[in-house]
Amino acid sequence: MYKILEKKEIAMRNTWYKIHAPHVAKKVKPGQFVIVRAFKNGERIPLTPVMWDPEEGWIVLIVFTRGKTTARMAAELKEGGEILNIAGPLGNPAEMEKFGKILAIGAYTGIVEVYPIAKAWQELGNKVTTLHVTFEPMVVLKDELERAVGRHLLETVPIDMTKSFPENMKNVTKRLTEKVRELLEKEEWDLVFMVGPTGDQKAVFEVVKEFGVPMKADLHPIMVDGTGMCGACRVTVGGEVKFACIDGPEFDAYKVHWDELIARSGYYTDMEQRAMQEYMRLMQQAAQGGE
Amino acid sequence: MAVKRKIIKERVPTPERPAEERIKSFVEVNLGYTFELAVKEAERCLQCPYNYAPCIKGCPVHIDIPGFISKLVQYRDDPDKAVKEALSVIWACNSLPATTGRVCPQEDQCEMNCVMGKVGDKINIGKLERFVADYAREKGIDEELLFEMVPKIEKKGQKVAIIGAGPAGLTAAGELAKLGYDVTIYEALHEAGGVLMYGIPEFRLPKSIVESEIDKLKKLGVKILTDHIVGRTVTIEELLEEYDAVFIGSGAGTPRLINAPGINLNGIYTANEFLTRVNLMKAYLFPEYDTPVKVGKRVVVIGAGNTAMDAARSARRFGAEVIIAYRRGPEDVSARVEEVEHAKEEGIKFEFFVNPVEFIGDGKGNLKAVKFEKMKALDERDSRGKRKIVGTGEYVTIEADTVIIAIGKHPNRLIVNTPGLKVERGRIVVDENLMTSIPGVFAGGDAIRGEATVILAMGDGRLAAKAIHEYLTKKRESKNA
Ligand SMILES: Cc1cc2nc3c(=O)[nH]c(=O)nc-3n(C[C@H](O)[C@H](O)[C@H](O)COP(=O)(O)OP(=O)(O)OC[C@H]3O[C@@H](n4cnc5c(N)ncnc54)[C@H](O)[C@@H]3O)c2cc1C
Ligand SMILES: Cc1cc2nc3c(=O)[nH]c(=O)nc-3n(C[C@H](O)[C@H](O)[C@H](O)COP(=O)(O)OP(=O)(O)OC[C@H]3O[C@@H](n4cnc5c(N)ncnc54)[C@H](O)[C@@H]3O)c2cc1C
Ligand code: SF4
Ligand code: FES
Repeated sequence: MYKILEKKEIAMRNTWYKIHAPHVAKKVKPGQFVIVRAFKNGERIPLTPVMWDPEEGWIVLIVFTRGKTTARMAAELKEGGEILNIAGPLGNPAEMEKFGKILAIGAYTGIVEVYPIAKAWQELGNKVTTLHVTFEPMVVLKDELERAVGRHLLETVPIDMTKSFPENMKNVTKRLTEKVRELLEKEEWDLVFMVGPTGDQKAVFEVVKEFGVPMKADLHPIMVDGTGMCGACRVTVGGEVKFACIDGPEFDAYKVHWDELIARSGYYTDMEQRAMQEYMRLMQQAAQGGE
Repeated sequence: MAVKRKIIKERVPTPERPAEERIKSFVEVNLGYTFELAVKEAERCLQCPYNYAPCIKGCPVHIDIPGFISKLVQYRDDPDKAVKEALSVIWACNSLPATTGRVCPQEDQCEMNCVMGKVGDKINIGKLERFVADYAREKGIDEELLFEMVPKIEKKGQKVAIIGAGPAGLTAAGELAKLGYDVTIYEALHEAGGVLMYGIPEFRLPKSIVESEIDKLKKLGVKILTDHIVGRTVTIEELLEEYDAVFIGSGAGTPRLINAPGINLNGIYTANEFLTRVNLMKAYLFPEYDTPVKVGKRVVVIGAGNTAMDAARSARRFGAEVIIAYRRGPEDVSARVEEVEHAKEEGIKFEFFVNPVEFIGDGKGNLKAVKFEKMKALDERDSRGKRKIVGTGEYVTIEADTVIIAIGKHPNRLIVNTPGLKVERGRIVVDENLMTSIPGVFAGGDAIRGEATVILAMGDGRLAAKAIHEYLTKKRESKNA
């Protein structure tokens, strides 16, 4: 059981959890993640420590409310309460080298995973530019990133209420790829790095490829154990089957079989929707019963 | 033993749920003996003398089988006493009888050797063992025995770390705790039990039973740190700074994949992922439990060991039509006989001599069919005594929307990559005392054997505990000297 020291909504659909997890805080390095199981009948989901203190034994997770598990976390977890399980740290730490001039991109909440890595790269003497592209009300870690790296660029897209959510997301992808193209045309880069939805990672990669700049991406396949025992997270990289949880999560974007990864990530979409609808129905019932 | 006894040739059967009923739920299939039935079966045992009894020789941990069986008959008028006496005989060699009674391949071990087999049915040793454990648990008799044991333990003041809470780790932990060591288990998952929790399904081994076996260890003072992955959360080197000895019981968790095109199509599961979702995460109760699993209308399970049977029978319980596809013939099926029989009763079909060569997709990333090469057996045998097989160049395609791969596993890479740890073909190398190439670090179970059995893993746990005790006694003495 891991105590929730702080919980707050820091932007629309983005919740900040500061949690007592000394075993993780002591060991975690930028690029690693944890597997969280918040509830007794809950799912195991991967999340990324954004900040941590090895002495005080806490970590910070910033979680985007996406489907049932993250929605339950936002609704049911309480400050002062507990999270059942936090396993980790997992995955390999990000490579800490002097790459030179780096463009580190985060789409939506992906930027929170970029933060610890970009900060460490900057401290190592790299020239880091971070680019965050998201909806206007979902901006996170702006001040922290401005402090941590050489230059922080923020691009926001308004939410158009007359349009569907997928339509709105297309606007983010458009702005993201346009901005990346602009930056690659204007400046010379040694490395591009990106975290965000797989579809957006692929879209950015298509642009980067035209310029031939090296690119790394932290991949987000579906995971179960996170320790190399289930094979759920397998991705094809350079023609070989890799397990993202123990071989990654960082891979060379040029070698990733993007379409396969996108197809695999969508395997449970129908069931996830069913679970979410069922959950919302129960919440509504409870709300009505409570009146 | 001059008393002439009447030989009863037939086994007293244990009641089972009918197949039509059980394929609709994950409730346990075999219902086990009542005390009366257990005594009836126990009476059939010839009580072969200890030094001769072939059943004991066949048991990897040498339980005094006639010894525990005789207690059931001797105290037949006092069931509680009968069970208490029988349980303490079993406990001397085996701390998880409710589990082994259910999952040991008895037909290849104790029961294979039973002399009753010459005149009739072999004694149903497994089900008797299970009965003793179940009755003791239900009546709190195991707790009673434990309470008598705990105060007698003399603290040694030395600490041992155990990696992995599977049968090997749990057994080593229990034995060491009984000897007075301060024991801490590091377990990667959120629940202890290893394969017993995440692999073997509820209908064969109810999870509440595994939990109660683990509770007993906690009562012996064993600490269990779940969510701790050795190799990531803490390294073996770091453990050695804090503990006087380390035991690796991390199992063989990494699934083997088939090197064939299409392996990453949606719908292709490793047995580990499939069973973890179903058992550990209770996906059969989705959406009440949050973890999903997708079982199509037609499921092909590749492999024919216990893992394959468990995956197939689990899939069947989701309403699927299930085929087990195996590249060898029926004589090489390695699963327990009872499981194969149960699988057949439940309507699972078997295809032999087929080897998958390609997974065919629907163009959208989902599996549609599997292409197999037909195989044939030669007279020549391989090192494991199995007939060699070769491809025939003929192919068949079986339609399937789900494939579950159950062709074996490797030890966890996070452990195997420890600097200085000698490993051969993925397995940790140990000496006759189960010590690895790192002094003070011992290993056992699937981590050293590849895929084996629960009882062999437990046997290793016991042996390692003994070796660790000797090692630490020396260490203690040299310190005091
Ligand atoms: C290494 C890694 C680090 C991550 N770090 C963060 C983070 O710091 N903050 C954050 O908000 N999100 C992070 N994620 C994503 C997060 O795990 C998913 O948003 C979460 O699992 C969604 O669960 P859900 O039940 O709310 O949504 P669902 O409705 O179940 O799923 C929505 C989508 O989330 C993804 N997803 C679902 N289950 C899993 C799973 N078990 N493993 C991986 N992906 C899954 C799938 O793409 C799915 O389509 C990370 C993912 C990975 C792999
Ligand atoms: C589906 C299935 C069915 C089976 N059926 C039978 C049967 O009927 N009868 C039978 O006798 N045998 C059966 N077996 C085989 C038997 O379960 C194994 O031989 C036995 O469990 C091995 O025990 P173990 O303790 O060595 O390893 P495991 O049971 O695998 O336990 C290892 C434990 O270590 C943990 N671990 C791994 N790596 C780390 C790490 N780095 N840090 C911390 N913890 C770690 C794992 O999470 C796990 O809990 C079956 C196996 C499977 C998969
Ligand atoms: S071999 Fe069979 S008959 Fe003889 S003691 Fe063992 S179980 Fe009883
Ligand atoms: S998540 Fe199970 S192997 Fe990577």
